[in-house]
Amino acid sequence: MFKKTLIPVAYGERPGELGRIGKFLEDLGSRSICLFHVDEPASLFRGADPSWLTRLAGALGETGLAVEVRRGDGHIASAIAEAALLEEVDGIFMKTKRRWHIETVLLGSVSRDLLRLSDVPVFIQKARPRLSSDGNEPGREDMKILYATDLDEASTRLLPYMMGFQGAWCHILHVRGRRADPAAERQRGKVVDEEMHRTAEDLRPYFDRVTTEQRIGNPATQVLHVSEQIGADVIALGRRRRAFFSAPLGATAERIVTGSKASIFLVPHPGGPRDP
Amino acid sequence: MIREYLRRDAVFLLSSGLILIFILAGIARPDLLDATSSAVHAMILDNFSWLYLISVFFFLVFALALALSRYGSIKLGHDAEKPQYGFFGWVAMLFAAGMGIGLLFWGVSEPLVHYLQPPPFIAAASPDAAAFAMRYAFFHWGVHPWAIYAIVSLSIAYFSFRRGMPALISSCFYPVLGDRIYGLAGNLVDVLAVFATVFGTATSLGFGALQIHSGLSHLYGISSAISVTIGIIIIATALFMASAILGVEKGIQVLSKFNIALAVVLLLLILVLGSAPYVLNVFTSALGGYINNVIDMSLQSYPFAGFEWSRDWTVFYWAWWISWAPFVGLFIARISRGRTIREFVLTVLTVPSLFTFIWFSVFGGSALHLELEQGADIAAVAGEDISLALFLFLEHYPFAGVLSLVAISLLIIFFVTSADSATVVLGSLTSGGGLFVPNYKKVVWGLSLSAVAIVLLVTGGLASLQVMAITVAFPFMLVMLILCYTLVIGLSQE
Repeated sequence: MFKKTLIPVAYGERPGELGRIGKFLEDLGSRSICLFHVDEPASLFRGADPSWLTRLAGALGETGLAVEVRRGDGHIASAIAEAALLEEVDGIFMKTKRRWHIETVLLGSVSRDLLRLSDVPVFIQKARPRLSSDGNEPGREDMKILYATDLDEASTRLLPYMMGFQGAWCHILHVRGRRADPAAERQRGKVVDEEMHRTAEDLRPYFDRVTTEQRIGNPATQVLHVSEQIGADVIALGRRRRAFFSAPLGATAERIVTGSKASIFLVPHPGGPRDP
Repeated sequence: MIREYLRRDAVFLLSSGLILIFILAGIARPDLLDATSSAVHAMILDNFSWLYLISVFFFLVFALALALSRYGSIKLGHDAEKPQYGFFGWVAMLFAAGMGIGLLFWGVSEPLVHYLQPPPFIAAASPDAAAFAMRYAFFHWGVHPWAIYAIVSLSIAYFSFRRGMPALISSCFYPVLGDRIYGLAGNLVDVLAVFATVFGTATSLGFGALQIHSGLSHLYGISSAISVTIGIIIIATALFMASAILGVEKGIQVLSKFNIALAVVLLLLILVLGSAPYVLNVFTSALGGYINNVIDMSLQSYPFAGFEWSRDWTVFYWAWWISWAPFVGLFIARISRGRTIREFVLTVLTVPSLFTFIWFSVFGGSALHLELEQGADIAAVAGEDISLALFLFLEHYPFAGVLSLVAISLLIIFFVTSADSATVVLGSLTSGGGLFVPNYKKVVWGLSLSAVAIVLLVTGGLASLQVMAITVAFPFMLVMLILCYTLVIGLSQE
């Protein structure tokens, strides 16, 4: 899925955990890793011995991946997004840190900022899928991918990346607003069914099982609901260019990343510099 | 079988049942009904009078925004559809929709009462009070009421003519409720529309009955007991029920047209027999004051002057118009098929408003002329008994007796035609939006309208009519706010 992946790391990261992430990424097709650390201007660890980064790189190197280390400074999410472009990576993998809600409200969230700012695909790892500590990664046939699509350009751009999850169960979900009258609603439902059926046929050769579902309602709410209902491991979705008025309110993707227990895989709107 | 009937006629059963309970409560315990409705009314006014002001202003802005936006060119019907009525015929019908008991009741009395009892910061019975009175009469009867009607009418017309749904308020809720419009949620929306129509119309009928009684007492000295007012309502009920049940719609249409012509004749007579240049000056000045102050008046609740004035007048009017909205909205929607949203909104907002401005300038302006320039003492008496103001005013004109009889005839015919139309609209709202209404439903709604008007008059007279109009309009105002949202959803899918 990502040949070259950027992993942002912070002081205190555990080498063992990073090793597990390395195995997971290797399984998804990664060949090289760019470990990236942002020196925050006010951080207590700004002058700390940089050998911890070397140790992390070593742990990753043991998995067989090529590893390089880079450092940057400034606003964390902006620095990561900028580094991803400079280093020409295919995607960013980031593990979320559990924060109290009030902390997120006051300080913001790096992962949410990154989802908004990044021009390359981002994988935010959350509680699911649980990476095994004994080296046995979850089998593909056990993985459940929730592909949330509005069948427009933003989400079709995600399709080529979906092949990276081949062998898993792919549940295609379309959430939309209700049409203004029952006849238009039936017509729209039929059209959406046909389009989802075509998408399912495109994905079927790569996945163990492909199912479809369409729902009416708020996209973020419905995606989170279905994700919990099927116990999804990854929610894959595209990100649209946001309209001026919706920008301060937060995009659907940002609301999903806050509420989801499944990992988020987000591909930004067309216009990003790199295609898979 | 019974289950199917209950499901099909749920709106009729629920709304008529609730109104029957209201009527029985009014007969058995009028004191309790009065106390309860006053408490609810006070709660609404204490907490939400601002919401009435801001919502109605929003309806006006929203209607104008729709008209001037790209949605303005969308037709209320299919794209190739031609308007059902010619432009002048349509305008004439809009004109007729703006006419009614209310104009006769308030045409003289409202400017006079504002003149005599303005808010505390204006000296009573002063030239400033007269200018204020005319400006606010224009405001209460101007574009705002028509914006309220336009919202309901646009929604019904759009979802019914363009989206092919039944002409019901609940149909407009499809974008948010989906198939639940056919269940309890949709039924409740329609019950609210029925409630608003019953109490809005009953309020007007109550005003009409009071004024007919005042006119007859003034002319012939008959007793001023409430039983006479009730008798007038019963006679008028018999007349409109007969017309509704016997299917003399054609006759009613002729009567309605005749009445409008008679009202215009009365208007012209007052203009010609009085001081026409003064009236035309009042019209021009009040129009200027209205245009200049319309935003301030729209949002002004006079919080530093004790709120009362705004609550007693503006909030009451807005509530009254809202309670009339399903009725007038449905009527305007039916005659506007094939019009674009732009021509619908702009015509509905301007034509009837212009007519009411002329009406108030002629009746209110002439009354103020008599009061200010000729020392007539109409305002003081009108302040005591609003329903008498028109007849005291007509006394200052030649052939006063004839003019008063014309006014009483107008009131009776308006009473019959309004109640007849309301009965048909209520029947349609409780028959799935269809045009065929069974006679038993017409009987139920006709009797209900009159019974509610009687109950309200007996429990508290004019004040009771106003209290109930404000109370039942509140939930329907919330319904209207959602209508704006669903309309935007529908239009955005075009």
